Amino acid sequence: MGDLGAELVRRARAVGMMLVWRAQSRSTRRVLVTGGRTEDSRGSVLSGQGLQIVTPDGRTVLASRDGFDPDPTLALLDRTIAAATRGGPLGLHRQRVPEMPALSAREIPEGLEAFDRIDPTAAARRLAEIESEIAASVPGVTLRLSFQAEVDAWRILRSDGTDVLYAAPRCTLRVTATSGGDRERHSVAAAVAGPDPALPWSDGPAALLVRRGTAAAELARALPDAPPHPAGTFPLVIDYALAKGLAHEAFGHAAEADGFRSSILARDGRFLAGQTVGAGHVSIVDEPVRGDYAWQPFSANGLRRERATIVDHGRLADALSDPWSAEPGGVRLTGAERAESYRHAPIPRMSNIRIEVDGALPAPGAFDEYGPGELRDLLDRAGILRRHPRIAFLSGYSGGQVNTATGDFVFHCKAIHALGREGTRLHRPAIFSGSMLGALGAIREALGPLLLDAIGTCGKLGQSVPSSGGSHYFLVLDPDPSFRLGGS
Amino acid sequence: MPFERLLTAIAGFGTGGARVRDWSVYGAETRRLALGTRDRETGGPHAPLNLAESFGAQFLLVWDDGRVSAGEIDRSEIGSGVEAALARARSAAYDDPDAAAVLGPAPIPEVPLHDPGVARIASGEAGPIAARLERIRERVAEHGFWTWSGSMVAAESRARLVTSAGLDAGVVTTFWAWNATFDGELADGFRGRAEDPFHDFDARLLRLGNLVSRLRRPAAHAPSGLRPVILHPHVVESFVLPILLGNLDGASVAHGESHFRASQFGSPDPVLREDLTLRVDPLEPLKAGSYRFTPEGVPAAACVYVRRGRLVTPVLNLKYARRLGWVPTAIPREYDTLHLEGPDPLPVEDALLEADGGALVLHVLGAHAQDATSGDFSLSAPQALAIEKARLGGRIRATLSGNLFAALRSDALRVVRFEGFPTPGLLFECRL
Repeated sequence: MGDLGAELVRRARAVGMMLVWRAQSRSTRRVLVTGGRTEDSRGSVLSGQGLQIVTPDGRTVLASRDGFDPDPTLALLDRTIAAATRGGPLGLHRQRVPEMPALSAREIPEGLEAFDRIDPTAAARRLAEIESEIAASVPGVTLRLSFQAEVDAWRILRSDGTDVLYAAPRCTLRVTATSGGDRERHSVAAAVAGPDPALPWSDGPAALLVRRGTAAAELARALPDAPPHPAGTFPLVIDYALAKGLAHEAFGHAAEADGFRSSILARDGRFLAGQTVGAGHVSIVDEPVRGDYAWQPFSANGLRRERATIVDHGRLADALSDPWSAEPGGVRLTGAERAESYRHAPIPRMSNIRIEVDGALPAPGAFDEYGPGELRDLLDRAGILRRHPRIAFLSGYSGGQVNTATGDFVFHCKAIHALGREGTRLHRPAIFSGSMLGALGAIREALGPLLLDAIGTCGKLGQSVPSSGGSHYFLVLDPDPSFRLGGS
Repeated sequence: MPFERLLTAIAGFGTGGARVRDWSVYGAETRRLALGTRDRETGGPHAPLNLAESFGAQFLLVWDDGRVSAGEIDRSEIGSGVEAALARARSAAYDDPDAAAVLGPAPIPEVPLHDPGVARIASGEAGPIAARLERIRERVAEHGFWTWSGSMVAAESRARLVTSAGLDAGVVTTFWAWNATFDGELADGFRGRAEDPFHDFDARLLRLGNLVSRLRRPAAHAPSGLRPVILHPHVVESFVLPILLGNLDGASVAHGESHFRASQFGSPDPVLREDLTLRVDPLEPLKAGSYRFTPEGVPAAACVYVRRGRLVTPVLNLKYARRLGWVPTAIPREYDTLHLEGPDPLPVEDALLEADGGALVLHVLGAHAQDATSGDFSLSAPQALAIEKARLGGRIRATLSGNLFAALRSDALRVVRFEGFPTPGLLFECRL
């Protein structure tokens, strides 16, 4: 495979073209269990190569092909070069070939051979055991459990000599609980992630999945009887998973430099670095975290991915940039470009994003020990219930979306709990929507240490890549007319 | 040829004392050309001209001990490690008699699915794309929009399905799609097997431009409370139909994860309003959602999922048809062959009269984050227009909440016909 890459580089150089060659092999195992029986179990390998050609006058053309057969690949290179050279009638945009530091590096985590030893039958049995454990605690709920183990390996060569190799292992355990019987049905999901394919058998993660799955099942069973929460503007507490959603949807996407010509965080295509966008004790940071679900140490162009402090104590600082967007956007190159697969064009996007708050208040114990009652007591002890006698607690992230041009964001939670001196009350989930700048400016306090294991899938421009992040256990937002809960 | 190599490998394969008894293999080889535009820049590094060649296959193996394996395999694995892939499949084999179905020969309908013009674009003839890009740029300039983004895609695929029971069917298809977003506000586009006529393309751009222009003006009054709301066909396709189809999915019904119970299918009791029908017709010529056979070998045929508010059948593949004791159905692949129908669709002008004091919702955020099982919805609609004196007014930023199934049962529900859209709009009352 390396010989093929070297030959492609040689041929591209010979005709004065810049080439980025991306070879990928992603191996996936997936097991799905429902009602104690295996409903699906399969393995797959996605492998192939992407050829990105940049002409001396700045036209870019991407080509891809599965497999690594030399002859058709070399023919594809010729076709790609020809298409780039004669791109005039289409009005293909020209952009100067950016300066990129050459790099030769590799990041291969230890223990990847364990992925070859995964026994799908044993995994299915283990999922059935976990399902039984949850079902014993919460009968009458339909459970669906899945285990997915994946190694995503990339090699990236550039015609300037860059040669980068890395492999990202990621494993997930997921459970979806659906309330049953003849009553109204609700579904609630939970997940645990880690890099080790022994995840289902590891005491800590398995116990955490049982705990989260049990909570999801209890919530699914309780939601049919829960009333809607009144719509409007309230003091809010959001958990770390929702805080990840806020950081990701509301700020991360608007800080991606490929969108600066229509982002609320830029003017005339330039990032508004230095502008105040939030309270002075709040920062937003994105960086790859080793062992994390969204870990990616190098960019899709073979650059080392750097930490980006998007908001530094309330002011815009770094953007998420790639070689083509950094200079036009007036920002530092952070190597933030990712691609779903070798077939896709790399675009700047997040990895693990978090909201950090200076002077976070203590929250002893583990996050999953906090139900609404324990959180209410924590807020009471911290004096927050004196300031806000009634607080809406939004728990569990179930997806969101943003319009980066207008700054409108929306995300959905799994449940709302009204917290007050009189106790707690469960309500059905409702949408949390509004202006990103208003929401960030409303963050008043944080409780607990940072927890960064909230996972998801980001679907920017139709490309799905793993995302992750978090914040302190809980964030407190003062009410503000710029964002609201539910309808009017 | 990778497909032939895979067939040969599967037919005689055995490992650890187990041999393949029955099998089914579906493979497709595709050539594709795509071109994107980001913020007026066509073919830039973040949306480049993209030429793709791919081959992929999916297989079902039934072993002689009755266990089954399903999986996907690509060209490189077929070339260098097909035995290892099949051994891996065996290691993942599981007991599931419902999944062990391999179809034999059956009459496969002829459906026009290929357009030579699209095939030429997929092979690199870019002239038609250039003409359309030019017209988009003209429309953007006429309306004074400051930016636009979009993409155009052409593909040609050759697919073949072969089973151990004697089924051997092939099909050559094309696919054409484009979309454009003006000022980052609203998008429209087309998906089909052939290019949409240029005048239809231009009319669509014009309608989109007019709506985006209207969004520049704020409404005099923002409606609130329980109000009539018209969901634009794009909102029906991004929010209503995915929730309906998700709950009609055979696996969800069989596992008790659907809003609908298995016992409700075939029942005379309506679950939606008695004049609503949902059906699919994969035999329509040159539609994106049309096909000749499913990858499992089920011949294409029209199918009604909901007739006059009553559940007829879930969407069933072979496994869940067997599990539920029904017959496999057509699979909805695109919205252009999925038909949501009610009596006497209202023209937009009449719908505006009925929805006076409400809103036309053009786009929603968060559709994918709803609890599809309960039907409860809570959506943000930053692109909506007030309806004032039975005419479209200025922009409002709304939040919608309610329950979709209650809306689809309500007496106030109306189906609205929008020019140029096969999917209708829906008019009902909900909280704004």
